[in-house]
Order: sequence, then structure tokens, then C-alpha cells
Amino acid sequence: MFALLEEAGMKRVRSVVVTGFRFRKPSTQDAAEAYGVKAVLFTAQKP
Amino acid sequence: MTDTALRHADDQASLEGVIKGEVLRMYQEVADHPDEEFHFFHGRVAAELFGYEREWLDRAPSGAVASFAGVGNPHLRSRLEPGETVLDLGSGAGLDSIIAGWQVGTAGRVIGVDLNPHMCAKAEAHAALAGGAIDCRQGTMEDIPLPDASVDVVISNGVINLSFRKRRVIRDIHRVLKPGGRIAIADIVSAKQLSQSIVNDPKLWAS
Repeated sequence: MFALLEEAGMKRVRSVVVTGFRFRKPSTQDAAEAYGVKAVLFTAQKP
Repeated sequence: MTDTALRHADDQASLEGVIKGEVLRMYQEVADHPDEEFHFFHGRVAAELFGYEREWLDRAPSGAVASFAGVGNPHLRSRLEPGETVLDLGSGAGLDSIIAGWQVGTAGRVIGVDLNPHMCAKAEAHAALAGGAIDCRQGTMEDIPLPDASVDVVISNGVINLSFRKRRVIRDIHRVLKPGGRIAIADIVSAKQLSQSIVNDPKLWAS
């Protein structure tokens, strides 16, 4: 997503991980972590 | 285009259609049966996990809060100002639109876009109950039903990852933003390439 935002021409692209995000079931959460799945908050500005 | 390429395009279009249907079904389910358990946290529990202000959650219509299915809190970084025009992409039951509406005030405007016309009706009804108004339009993230350079801020919460065409979504967000316009988008990303079995599973994609 970060790269797509820059590719589209957005500037000042920033991202921060959403620390509170997790899946309800531990097994799903474990699988998500294995794939590096996380929630991220992106900000950016159009020049 | 070769026969193989045509077959691949057909398969891709077919899978995309199935996944689109599953996405609609899943989020309709959250909206219609918010008391049920899903594999993700939703409703007030999720909103509090992401730092939504309790005052907002107390003030918003209970239906909008109960059906909240976001993955973060775009309002932490949206810096909305009175009078601004905000697009809530994938507005769902309307909680983020309602909160945005409180921040931009009566001089501002909130436009929702959702694939599901029932969700648009629900979001507009929730906004009216909250004493505000949102203009929700049925449409897709890939072809946002708005003119070029027409919004100050785009917010979105957990929906862009559901698109097969993320590059096109981002380009269309750029198109509808005014020069100097901003985004605050919470979404799911993956550090590793997901296996084809996951990518091709409509239920996992919709989650």
C-alpha cells in the first residue's frame, strides 16, 4: 500500500501499525502473524 | 490475447465475482446480526481497542456502533477541519462518517461510498439519528462515483484490502482528492505473499 500511494503521486506517505488490531481466535491470529498480517494506518497528501 | 490468457482473464473475473459476493455477504451479516461472533472483533469492543473516544461511541446511534467493522481509527490522524469535504470509502453502517460529520460541521460535507445499497441506506439513517447528514452513494472503490479534485480528505477503514485492484483504488483516491488533499486510511497489509489457496478462498479474502 505504501508503494502504491507513492506510485500514485501521493507525498508525505506515513504509516503506523494499529497496535490494538487482532483476530478473535488465537489460531487465526497465529496464522496472520506467520504471514506478517497487520493493520496499518496510512496518511499521505496529494501535492 | 491468447486462449490461455483469455481463460486466465475469465477465471480471474469469475473469482473476483465470487469474492465480491462473499464480501457483500460478510459485511451485511455484521450489520444485520451484530450480536453474533465473527473471526474479527467488531462493534464497540473493536472501536474501543482502536482508541475511539468513548464520548463518540456514547453519542453515536447504537446500530452504527454495533455494526462497526473497521481495523483501526482513521480519526487519530485525519485532522479534519470545519467546512471540509470528506469521502468515507467503504462507509458501511456509517460510524466513521458520523464522527467525520461532527468534525467538519454543518459547513462541511461527508460523502460515503459503499458497494452495498442497503448499507448506504443504513448509514444515512444512522447519520440522521445522530442529527447529521451523509450523502452515501452506491459504487465501487475502483471507480469512485465522484468528480476529479472534489474532496479534501479521504478516510477509509479496512476495505481497500478487499479489492482485487488495489492500484486502481489508490489511483482513484488520488483522482478525487483536491490538490493538498489528505488521506487517513486504516487497512490490513501482509508482509509476505499469501499462498494461492488463501488468495483463492472467498471466505478468507472477505475476512
